[in-house]
Amino acid sequence: MSDNLQVHRSVYEVLNGAQEPGPRLIANWLGGVLDAVGKGKPIAYHPFTTFSEIMVALDVQPICCEAWDMVGLQVDPDHAIKSIDTAHEAGIPPELCSFDKAIIGSVMRGTMPPPSMIAQSGMPCQNAYITYQAVSALTGAPLYVCDTPYNTDEEGALDYWVKQYKGMISFLEEHSGKKMDYDRLREVLEESNRCVEYWLEAMELLKLKPAPHSGPLSQGSLAGMMGFGTPEGTAAMKALLDELKDKVSKGETAVPDEKARVIWFHFQVFWDNTLMGFMNELGAVVPYVLFDDFRVEPVDTSTPERMIRSMAWRALQTPMGKVGRGSFDAFIEDLLYAVDEWKGDCVILGAHPGCKWVTGAYGLIRDACRERGIPLLLYDVDLVDRRITSAEESRTRIEQFLTTVIDR
Amino acid sequence: MTALEELRQPAATLTNPYIERWREKGGKVVGYYCTYVPAEIIHAAGMFPYRMRATGSTSSDLGDVYTYRTMCTYCRHSLDQAMRGEYKFLDGLVACYSCDHVRRLFDIWKAGKVEFSQPPFYLHFLSVPMKADVETEEWMASGLERFKQSLEGNFKVTITDEALHRSIELYNEKRRLLKSLYELRKQDSPPISGTEVLEILIASTSMPVEEFNQLLKKVLEELRGRDGFSDYRARLLLGGGELEDPEYIKLIEDLGGLVVTDFMCFGIRDFWDLVDEDAEPISALARRYLERVSCPRMIDHPRRQEFLTDLAKEYRVDGIIMQRMKYCDTWGGESAMMEWDIKKESTPTPYMVLEREYLIGAAGQMRTRVQAFLETIGR
Repeated sequence: MSDNLQVHRSVYEVLNGAQEPGPRLIANWLGGVLDAVGKGKPIAYHPFTTFSEIMVALDVQPICCEAWDMVGLQVDPDHAIKSIDTAHEAGIPPELCSFDKAIIGSVMRGTMPPPSMIAQSGMPCQNAYITYQAVSALTGAPLYVCDTPYNTDEEGALDYWVKQYKGMISFLEEHSGKKMDYDRLREVLEESNRCVEYWLEAMELLKLKPAPHSGPLSQGSLAGMMGFGTPEGTAAMKALLDELKDKVSKGETAVPDEKARVIWFHFQVFWDNTLMGFMNELGAVVPYVLFDDFRVEPVDTSTPERMIRSMAWRALQTPMGKVGRGSFDAFIEDLLYAVDEWKGDCVILGAHPGCKWVTGAYGLIRDACRERGIPLLLYDVDLVDRRITSAEESRTRIEQFLTTVIDR
Repeated sequence: MTALEELRQPAATLTNPYIERWREKGGKVVGYYCTYVPAEIIHAAGMFPYRMRATGSTSSDLGDVYTYRTMCTYCRHSLDQAMRGEYKFLDGLVACYSCDHVRRLFDIWKAGKVEFSQPPFYLHFLSVPMKADVETEEWMASGLERFKQSLEGNFKVTITDEALHRSIELYNEKRRLLKSLYELRKQDSPPISGTEVLEILIASTSMPVEEFNQLLKKVLEELRGRDGFSDYRARLLLGGGELEDPEYIKLIEDLGGLVVTDFMCFGIRDFWDLVDEDAEPISALARRYLERVSCPRMIDHPRRQEFLTDLAKEYRVDGIIMQRMKYCDTWGGESAMMEWDIKKESTPTPYMVLEREYLIGAAGQMRTRVQAFLETIGR
C-alpha cells in the first residue's frame, strides 16, 4: 500500500509544515488520511456533494474521492489517466464520467486507500450511483445512499431528505462504532459556517467590475472537499478572502483592461491550469465558476434536530447539487442569474462527456442564451482526461469565441 | 390470423389499430418512458397507458438540435419522433428519473419543443427513489398519490380504490400469463423464439391489457401444438436496457443463438414481480415497483446479480449477452460489475457485452461479434 500511495505521500511531505493556509489545508487532510491508513482507523468515502462534517464530528477520516484524484493530477498529469485506463481495462465504458472512472481505477490500482464505509448523496448525476456501487463491489465496503428527492418543492420532500440524512448518520455510527456527539457536531458546523461566510463574501467581491480575481476559487473548492468544518479549511478560505480584499483596496484587478467577463458554468478543466491565464491574456476574466457558487445559508446549530435539518437543506443548495439534482429549469435559472449577478458578457460550457445531465438538453441552454442575447460557447472537453481535446484545440475554440465577443 | 401473428404486429409500428380504435371511442392515451411508472394508475383512470418507443424512426436530425451526441440514441430518436409530431396520438406523458438521458428528454418535452396533440398536454414527472426500504416506499407512495391526484385533476376523472384493485388484478394476470410463456422457454426445444417473445412483450404495452390478456391466453394454447426450436447452437440470456427492435434478437437467433430468457426492460424485469392484491393499492404499488427485479437506476447491484445468476441456471443458458446502448451510463457500469461477479464463479457462464445503437446500423460487425461469442462457447 505504501508504494501505491507514493504520489500523495510525496505531496504531503512537500506541503507538511507549510505556513500558507492553502497548502496547510491539503497537508492536514492528506496527513489525516495517511495516519488513518497507518493506524487502521476507519475511512469514509464521500463524493463532493456530500460534505464531510458528520465524519469530522465522528472522528472518521473522510476522503472526498474527487479531491483525492485532483491532488494526484496536480503532481502528475497522467495520474488520473492511469486510473481511467485501469477502469476501461476492467470493462467500465469510456462514456462514464472520467472523475468516476478515475475513482474506480484508483481503487483498483490501490492508489486511493480502501474505504471502511461509503456515504453518498444522489447528486448531481447517476454516474456517482454507478461508481460507488462499483467501489462497494470492489472493496466490500458498506454503502449508504441518501436518496435525493427529485423535486424538492413537493410536499414532504424536505422531511424525506432529512430522514435520509439521519439515516446516513446512523450508518456512519454503525460502521465506525462511534456515537455522534452533537456538541462536537455543533463545533464543526460553526467552523464550516465561518468558512461559508468567508466564501460568500469572496463571491460577492467577484461581482466587482473589473474583477479582482479570475478563475476558480481554488481554496474554496479545497475547503469544501478537504477541510469543511476544520480550522484549516476555514483558514484557507479566510486567506483567500483577505487576499481578495487586499487587491480590491489597492485597486488591483485580474487583468489590466477587462474586455469580457466569462461565466464558466461548470467545473474548471483540472488538467489545464493555464487555461484561465490564457483567457486573461486575451483580456477576458472569469469571475464565476459554477463549482464556486456556494450560495447557502449558515447551518442552524441551536438543536441537534435543527442542525441535521439545516445541514440537509444546505446540501441541496450546494454547487452541482442545486443545478444537477432535478429539472433543468434550475440549471437555466442559475445560469441566467450568474450572468446577471456576475455581469457576464458570455457563457462558456465545457461539454464534459460524462455530464449528460448538462448536455442532454443543450438546446434549452442555447435558446435561453439566445433569447437574452448572451453569446454561448459549448465545446468538447474532458475535465479530467486531457486526451479528449488537446490544450491547443481548446485554446483555438476559446480564442475564436472570445475574439468575437470582445469585438461585438 | 393466429393469435401469435396478431400479437407480433404492434411491435412493427409506433401506433396500431388497437390504439386507433381506442381513440376513436374517445379514449385517452398517456405515454410513459420507463417501467418504473405504474401503468396500473393510468389504467385505473380509464386511460390507456402506452410505453414509449421510437419505432419507425430513421434519423435523429431534428432531435439532435436540442440535445447532444453523448445522449443515447434511443432518447435522440424518441425526441426526434416527438418533434416531428409522431406521438400526436398521446394525450399526456409521464416520466421519472430513469437516467440522466430520459430526465433531460422530459425537460425538452416540458419546454414545449415537441409537437403536442393538443394543448394543454398533460405532463407529469414522478418521484421514484433509487433504493428500496420502508422510508423510500412511503415516499414513493406519496409520489404515487400525487400522480393519481394530478391525473384526476387534469382529466377530470376519479380514480377509486376499486378501479385500482381491478387494474392491479388485470396487470397481475398479464404478468402471470407472461410467466407461463417464459415457463415454456425452459424446455429443451422451446416452442417460441426470443424474437417472437420480444414482439409479444412490446404488444403487452401497446394495446389494452384486457385484449392483450385474451390474445396471450390463445397464444399459450397455440404453442402447445407447435414444434419447438431444437436446431440452435446455444441457449442465451439476453440482458440490458431498452431494446425494442426485434431485429436485434433475430440477428442473434439467425446465427444459431436461441434467446431463452432475458434481463431487459421489455422483458422479465417489467413483469416478474406481482403487486399484492390484498393490500391498500397505492402502498402495494409503491412496494412492488421499488422491490421488483431492479434496473441499474436502483442501488441494488448485489440483488440483481443474484437474480441474473439464478435465471441463467433456471433456463440452463450457455451464455449471457448484455446488450448496451452506447452512452448508457447505468448499463455501462452494471454490465462491467456483472462481468466481475461472473468471473468469480467456479464455472463462469460465458459473457459478452454487446454495444449497439438504436438503429441496427452496423449489423455486419454485430454478426461477427455474436458469431465469435458462439464459437467461444464452443457451439
